[in-house]
This record gives sequence, C-alpha cells and structure tokens, in this order.
Amino acid sequence: MNTDPKGRQKLIDHLFRHQSGKMVASLVRVFGLSNLELIEDAVQDTFIKAIASWQIQMPDNPEGWLMRASKNRAIDLLRSGKIKSEHLNNIPHGTFVDSLDQMFSQEEIEDSQLRMIFTACHPSLSIKEQIAFALKTVTGFGDREISAALLTKVETVKKRLSRARKIIQEKNIRFDIPAQAELNKRLGIVNNVLYLIFNEGYHSSSKTDLIRRDLCLEAVRLCQIILKNEKMRNGETYALYSIFCFLSAKIPSKISNADKLVDLKNQDRKKWNPELIMMGNMALGKAMDSDVVSNYHLEAAILGEHLNAPSFEETNWENILEYYETMFRSDNSALLLLNIAFVLTQMNLIGKAKKTLAAIHSKELENRIYLYYGLSAELHYAEGNIEEAVEYIDLCLSAVSNTYEKEYLLNKRNIFTASLN
Amino acid sequence: MKDFMLIFTGTHYSDLGLSPDEMQQRLGNWWGWQQKMKEKGILKGGNALQQGVRRIKGEGMVVTDHTSTALKEIIGGYFLVSVADLEAATEVAKDYPDYDLGGTVEVRQIQIYEH
Repeated sequence: MNTDPKGRQKLIDHLFRHQSGKMVASLVRVFGLSNLELIEDAVQDTFIKAIASWQIQMPDNPEGWLMRASKNRAIDLLRSGKIKSEHLNNIPHGTFVDSLDQMFSQEEIEDSQLRMIFTACHPSLSIKEQIAFALKTVTGFGDREISAALLTKVETVKKRLSRARKIIQEKNIRFDIPAQAELNKRLGIVNNVLYLIFNEGYHSSSKTDLIRRDLCLEAVRLCQIILKNEKMRNGETYALYSIFCFLSAKIPSKISNADKLVDLKNQDRKKWNPELIMMGNMALGKAMDSDVVSNYHLEAAILGEHLNAPSFEETNWENILEYYETMFRSDNSALLLLNIAFVLTQMNLIGKAKKTLAAIHSKELENRIYLYYGLSAELHYAEGNIEEAVEYIDLCLSAVSNTYEKEYLLNKRNIFTASLN
Repeated sequence: MKDFMLIFTGTHYSDLGLSPDEMQQRLGNWWGWQQKMKEKGILKGGNALQQGVRRIKGEGMVVTDHTSTALKEIIGGYFLVSVADLEAATEVAKDYPDYDLGGTVEVRQIQIYEH
C-alpha cells in the first residue's frame, strides 16, 4: 500500500498526467502515428478503468499497474482489428508480446518520449501547433488545461490540435529521432518550444494560477529527458536548463505575502531557492564547455549574475551589460535595447540610458510597451523631471491589464507625486 | 445506529473528456471521502460497479446489454454506512465528490425485518 504518514492513500503528484505521456508515446512506437487517435482513446480508457478499480483500494505499484494495463490494451487493440497496419496483423502473438515487453522498459519509454517530442516539433507544424501538440501528447494535458494555461479558447486549442494531427497524417511524418545532419536544426526547434512553454507559465502572476505554473515544471521535465540522452544533449540545452533553474529559483519571491507583484530590486532574496541556483550554476558550467555561445548561454549568464548577487545593489552590471551587448550583435530587437537601457540606468549612466531608449522604435515592443514607459518614467524621475515621470507612469498604467502590476505602478505614482510637493 | 446505502448515479467518467490530471484529482477526492468515513468509523463497505449493464426484464425475461453511452445515467457504485439517522446519512452523502459533474446520491435505509 502507498500511504502517507497519516495512513492516507496518496499518488505521486501528476502521476496520471506523466504516465499518459509515457503510455501514448510507447503505444505510438508500437503501432505508428497513424493510430494516434485510437491510442489516445485507449489510454484514456485505461485511466477510467484504473479509477474504477482504485476507488476502494490503490495497488502497491500504481505506475506498474498502469503500464501493465496499457500493454494489455495494446494486445486488445491488435486483436480488435482496428489498427491501421498490414504487417502488424501478421506478426505472431508471441513475438508481439516479446517486443511489447521490450518497448515498455524504462530506457525504451524514454526513447519513445524523445521521438514524441521531435514529432511535436516537426517543422511542418506552426509554432502554436507545436506547443499545443506537445502539451497534449507529450505532457498529457487535457484540452481545457491547455486552453487555461495558454489563455486561449478551448475551441482554438482543439483546432490547433486537429490541424497538427492532420498534418502528421498527411505528411506521413515518421515517429523518429532525426539523423545527425538534421538533428541539430530540429533540436533548435525543440529548445525554442520548451523555452516558450516555460515562459508562458513563468509570466503568470498569480499565486493561485497553478495550471500556468505547471507549464514551467513540464518544460523542465522535458528538458531533463533530453539532457539524459548523451547523443542528444548539447550546450544550448544545458543553457536552457540553466535558465529554467534560475527563473524557477526566483518564483517564491515574485509575489509577496500580500499577493502583490515584486520587482527584482525589492524581491526578498532569502526566498530564492538555493538548490535551484546551484543547479542553474552547474548547468551553466556544462553549457560553457561547448564551443557554441547561443543566446540561451547569454541569457543564462545574465540570470546567473542576478541570482548569485547578494543584493540588487551589488549586482555586477558591467558583466550583464557585456552579455547584452554580445547578444545585440545577433539580435537588435527593441526589447534587447530596452534591457540595455535598464542596465545603464542601474549603472547610473543616465545619459547613455536615455540615448539607448531614444533609439527604440517603441511600437516594436507591442504588448511590452509598458516596460518602455516604466523605464522612461524612472529616467525622468532620476533627472528630477517629476511631471514627465508622472506622465510616463500614467501611460504605463494605461498599457497594463494585470492587477498586480497596476497596484505596483500606482504605488510608484504616489511616491513620484509626493516628491512634487 | 442504522445502516444506510448511499447509491451513486451519474454520467460515466469516460463520457466527460476528463484529462489525466483531472481524473487523478477525482480519485484523490474519493479516497479523501473514504478516509473521512473510516476515521469516523462509519464505513461498513462499498464497491464500484463496472461500466457494462445487462438488464433482464418482464415476463419474457428479455436480456439486453447496455453501454454507458446508451444510458444517460448509470449506477456507478455504493457505500454502506452506519450512522444515527437519515439526517446523519445525508450529511455523509454531502461529501460525495462528483456533484459538480451532475452526479446524484440516493440515500436508502436498509430494511430490517423483526422476527
């Protein structure tokens, strides 16, 4: 019996979700992507059966129970004749069961999951389809959960998923890990998808927004699957993992006890998770072993400076500026310029900061325009132009929708107006 | 103490399109409810029922097999509890975890025949 100290029956958090990804990937490996929908239904059915028989008592090894059940489902599926495959139907039963046992070994399950990640990140799918398909098929999210996590309508999620499935069928995409020549390019897409999934979750700003925070954990988990594979992992994946660790370490201090958004300067650094910072440092070290320096490397290095600084004031802004300037060689986006202006402000190089800010086409910032207004306000305040500072704060206020951010800005506005008198 | 049967009727989980995580949560809720009853020492037994329904009906004893999709509501299971009275049994039934899915609990006292 699996029990907690109080004698209650308990499952590992998200066991079903994670098992679902493993089961779907393993069964697709056996039957091929052309049977994906049939397989998803079969896996769903396995969980329903599990609930029915576990409602009274949980088995000793729930994970093993589920895996055994999905192997049995595979045999049922083969016998049902619904499987779309000529050669499979002619395989002798004994051979099939042997190869099935092999497919459900730990190592092969991980291999199947990797194949599923690469399927989700196939270049024939759009980035939005890649993300939706990965969340559904690799991490085991439901349609409603995907829609809540991505702040998208359920209908939109369903459309993306069905388009992704259609493309996979039509293009006859193989359930494979690409060969060496293609591998690096595809890994680039995989990294990008993981990065976007993580950020989607990280920018949720409520303590109660658990489903969005789950996105971060899932991105970390998928990144770990790749890092476990020696042939697969490269410097970029390590750098990405380092970014995830550093950002995750900060989560406990992002929202204060009063449920208010806290900026980097005012975060309680004692709340930062030291184990995650250590893991971030280690991953960054591994990332630096590679010859390539990607933007993930630079972002990880910048975060490393922040996370290892004893206080906001003691941050090594010179190093950070250098990393940003290196980034600027390959990425001259408005957002990057904004970050550079922010660092210059911290270094008290107000003139340079203003010059950098002036070079930004603020429209390019789209929904991040509020950051531009916010920094402009700070710069004017630093120069004693209080009235302009207040004007920019008001612009900033009109550009944010999040209540935490609104409150934070109103508070700042009060400080500004107080110094007018 | 009197014995009551709590009978659960509702849509079968498979027709609700629940995600794996939602299903795990449901399962946890059921264990939580059971645990609460066990701690109070009122739970005497219970079972979940499988999905298939075979009905034998009328003089001709006509046998029909139904699936959950064909029947809108099926009995999913039951608990047997021992409590003071119908009110107490009702309180226990209020912890049933699937009301939000449109589930129903029927509370029925076990008939005892005097000899």
